[in-house]
Amino acid sequence: MGFLRTLQEKRFFLFWLFCGGCVLGVALTVFTVQAVEWTGDDKFCGMCHIMTPELDAYHLDKHGGHNRTGVKAECVDCHLPHDNIVHYFVEKTLLGIEDVYGNTMKNPRKFDWEMNRREAKDYVFDSGCLRCHTNLKDATQSNMKAFLPHRDYFAKLTKKHCVECHLDEVGHQNLGIHLRKFLKDDYKPSVRALISTSQK
Amino acid sequence: MRVSLARFLAFVLCLGWLSAHPPKGGTSIDNAMDTQLPLKTFRGMKAEAKGCIECHAKKNPGIVADWRMSQHAHAGVSCIDCHGVTKDSPMLTMDGHEGSKVPISVLVSTNTCAKCHEKEVTEFRHSGHVRGAVQIWAKANMRDLMVMVEGRNHPDLKHAPAATGCQQCHGSIIQLNKNHRPTPETWPTYGIGTAFPDGSVGNCASCHSAHKFSLEEARKPAACASCHLGPDHPDIEIYNNSMHGHVFNAEGAKWNFNSAPGTWKVPDFRAPTCATCHMSGNAKSAVTHNVSRRLKWNLFMPLSKLRTGGYETASDDFKYENKITIGNPLAGNPKGPEAARAEMKAGCVDCHNKQHVDNFFVMADKNIMLYNEYYQEAVKMRDELAKKHLLGKDMWSDDFQNTMYHMWHHEGRRMRQGGIMGAPDYSHWHGVFEVQQDIRKLRKIYAKRLKTNQIED
Repeated sequence: MGFLRTLQEKRFFLFWLFCGGCVLGVALTVFTVQAVEWTGDDKFCGMCHIMTPELDAYHLDKHGGHNRTGVKAECVDCHLPHDNIVHYFVEKTLLGIEDVYGNTMKNPRKFDWEMNRREAKDYVFDSGCLRCHTNLKDATQSNMKAFLPHRDYFAKLTKKHCVECHLDEVGHQNLGIHLRKFLKDDYKPSVRALISTSQK
Repeated sequence: MRVSLARFLAFVLCLGWLSAHPPKGGTSIDNAMDTQLPLKTFRGMKAEAKGCIECHAKKNPGIVADWRMSQHAHAGVSCIDCHGVTKDSPMLTMDGHEGSKVPISVLVSTNTCAKCHEKEVTEFRHSGHVRGAVQIWAKANMRDLMVMVEGRNHPDLKHAPAATGCQQCHGSIIQLNKNHRPTPETWPTYGIGTAFPDGSVGNCASCHSAHKFSLEEARKPAACASCHLGPDHPDIEIYNNSMHGHVFNAEGAKWNFNSAPGTWKVPDFRAPTCATCHMSGNAKSAVTHNVSRRLKWNLFMPLSKLRTGGYETASDDFKYENKITIGNPLAGNPKGPEAARAEMKAGCVDCHNKQHVDNFFVMADKNIMLYNEYYQEAVKMRDELAKKHLLGKDMWSDDFQNTMYHMWHHEGRRMRQGGIMGAPDYSHWHGVFEVQQDIRKLRKIYAKRLKTNQIED
């Protein structure tokens, strides 16, 4: 019975320890949420210089606030999953590590950015798109252009991701031009563009 | 009041006089053009889209007329939905024009079509049609034929044969010049395997001609006939020679070619068209845009092999690997040649009994195997001659090689394709009869060369 006895003797200490833990927990939670908030927008992501073209293209895009209302989709709204909070945190951590590693240990100017762009479905998440464009699944034939192209998607007859169709028109307006301007000699045009502009 | 009444009467009289005495000088057609009102669109379209339509209705009324008759127009799909691109797109050909700020491309790739018609484009990508353009540039002997032999390697004129010939059916690898305009060597083309600067391959407009994209048109044999004709694969002639073609030609005009996709079946028609057997849904197999899927044999190659290659690969090689490859000539049904045949037969039994169908294919298969016997004999002779250096360097002026080429590429294809598609004249007189004549000629040349140990002049 020594345990119960100790519990009884030190109950005030334990009470205050519990209270302290609660306060600390709340503080940490608030701080985490705030940190997530701080590290999710274009100001934070744009701190890495290499993100300049993406940032410029984003600010000229509808999703970057260049629209009638000025509402913005922040980086993480598209580039992190929003299906559940665990998935979100795991992806955020992995992405954070990857970005820090890439920016410090590698030379990001040498990346094939156009090729990375073509793989957008790996880092643009449908759950992000659908969090805002939630009405799309209820489109009817009264809005044919919303209804017809997305009918198979919501009926799960296709495995395509949103960005596979909307790649060039979403998020970063004319990103290729900004990449070319920023990277200059390091810019690798998309392989297709090479073929199409060479004379033979 | 009286004045206006008088005016009205005068107007009516004028009208009567005008209709009785059409104005002289200039035909009525001229007058019709003079008074034609420009097209106005009053639909829920954006101003830019309306701008395209109304301006092009004046400049290229044919394009807009086609679009007006299309399902796209009904669904509100406008010019920009297909032709609009971003300014950094490798497809960009016009950085806005004539007051419009919308960047566009005159090229519309299958990537664009796939935004709404994904299933069709994916199936198409798995079919042999896709390798049309890349394969002719992947093969050294094909490039030689187009540029060196036919084009005489002329510094200025050498690409004319490909641009006016090969690529019109096969498609081209479209290239843009420094001003982002498509080059005359590679565009325009309606070729089926057109490879686009965005990496996609294929051309829906080959069969569903732009800008109407008619379902009806693609279901009629004419859609296939502009390419599948002539001495090497007279498929439209074969169809016309067959009982199926006979029935279509007699009464096809009265059939219903407009059922919804996947529902087009007997009795919409009384005999199949090309599309019915190779693509359309029937009692047992689903509709597909993979035209190779129901084929058991490869009938265009020198030696007919079973199609065991699965799906076509040329499109993926081009898109993801940036490679121009010969593709997969044995592409067919991923479940194998017997599954392919079963899917083909599934269409036949909508109209024929099983015995009829089975018997037909037994003999058609034997006809193909018989051709292989002829070809293998020719190969044996050719290899022997090659070993003894008795083959001419220029195959096109060497009697043996030239005859052998015609034997498989012309006569041999007619024999095989005529047999499997029920065209007796092509299977026999243009086919096996010519093939046996060729083999006799080859034997003669072979014997002579071996005897004299030299190539005759």
